[in-house]
Amino acid sequence: MKLLKIASLISLAGLLALAAVYFFVYNKPHTNFEQAKPDFKLTASEFYSAFTDTQEQAELKYNGNVVELSGKIDFIESTNSLNIAVLAFGDGLFGPEGIRCTLLDNHVEKAEMLIGSDVQIKGFCSGFSGSDVILEHCSIVN
Amino acid sequence: MKYLKTLLLLSVLVMMYHDVVAQNYMTRNGMIRFYSEAPLENIEAVNRQVSSVINTETGEFVFRVVMRSFNFEKALMQEHFNENYIESHKYPNASFQGRITNIDEINFSVPGEYVAQVEGELTIRDVTRSISKTGTFIVNGEEILGKSTFDIAVADYNIRIPTAVVNNIAEVVEVTVEVPLKKMN
Repeated sequence: MKLLKIASLISLAGLLALAAVYFFVYNKPHTNFEQAKPDFKLTASEFYSAFTDTQEQAELKYNGNVVELSGKIDFIESTNSLNIAVLAFGDGLFGPEGIRCTLLDNHVEKAEMLIGSDVQIKGFCSGFSGSDVILEHCSIVN
Repeated sequence: MKYLKTLLLLSVLVMMYHDVVAQNYMTRNGMIRFYSEAPLENIEAVNRQVSSVINTETGEFVFRVVMRSFNFEKALMQEHFNENYIESHKYPNASFQGRITNIDEINFSVPGEYVAQVEGELTIRDVTRSISKTGTFIVNGEEILGKSTFDIAVADYNIRIPTAVVNNIAEVVEVTVEVPLKKMN
């Protein structure tokens, strides 16, 4: 009888542990991109050229990774829900084309003050839209 | 193949641009939301970085979607979406290329709300399917808001749902599109 009780308790503890693991994995937080260590550091110009010159290789290398770029913010485009720092490298079908960095809310003001200046900007590379490289969750590093 | 499609899509965009610049409206901040309703959980993801161009004279329009720009409430869902279902590393973009078939019934120079019949080809994971849907265009001066809600079956695009999560992910997901288009200069 005592043995059965011990076995039941161990089983219950095991189930609780499994439930806890499932709960924490299921609810694991999103990456804190502001604190994330960059996988790549390079100039914005090199980064953009990689996508326009050798799109396939650039997508395989950079998509899904955190990159830190050094370059110049040309302007900030604001929509209802996004503030996007644009590092432009030319004009195309959609107007200025380049790297579009969706800013974290707490970095918008800093980015606005640094328009036209050299900055280090870090973000998650989502991919290439055909005209622009999309970086998200961006923060100003310097 | 993927790059040939990209090239073709860009060629269409460029042709549209050169043919009738004045009739083109565009956005790079369109929104696409998908919603999956299943017995165990509902899943929603939003992408606010959708590029789109419409030629209001011919009714032709295109969308281009960067798949990794879909944001989910839960990190695990986002991870599974990109790694297991969409395989964003292999298929980073989706696109739609089509036209409004009842363009004669829509006057883009007069403010108002118009119902549009749309048909075209939707490409996800390099699988292209012909689709025909209904949407609305709300015309307000030099701005047009395009909206549509429709269903797609994930199996149509070779997205396989493992048996273990069949109660977590719907076989048919609801897609909502909202594109605030502005006249191109």
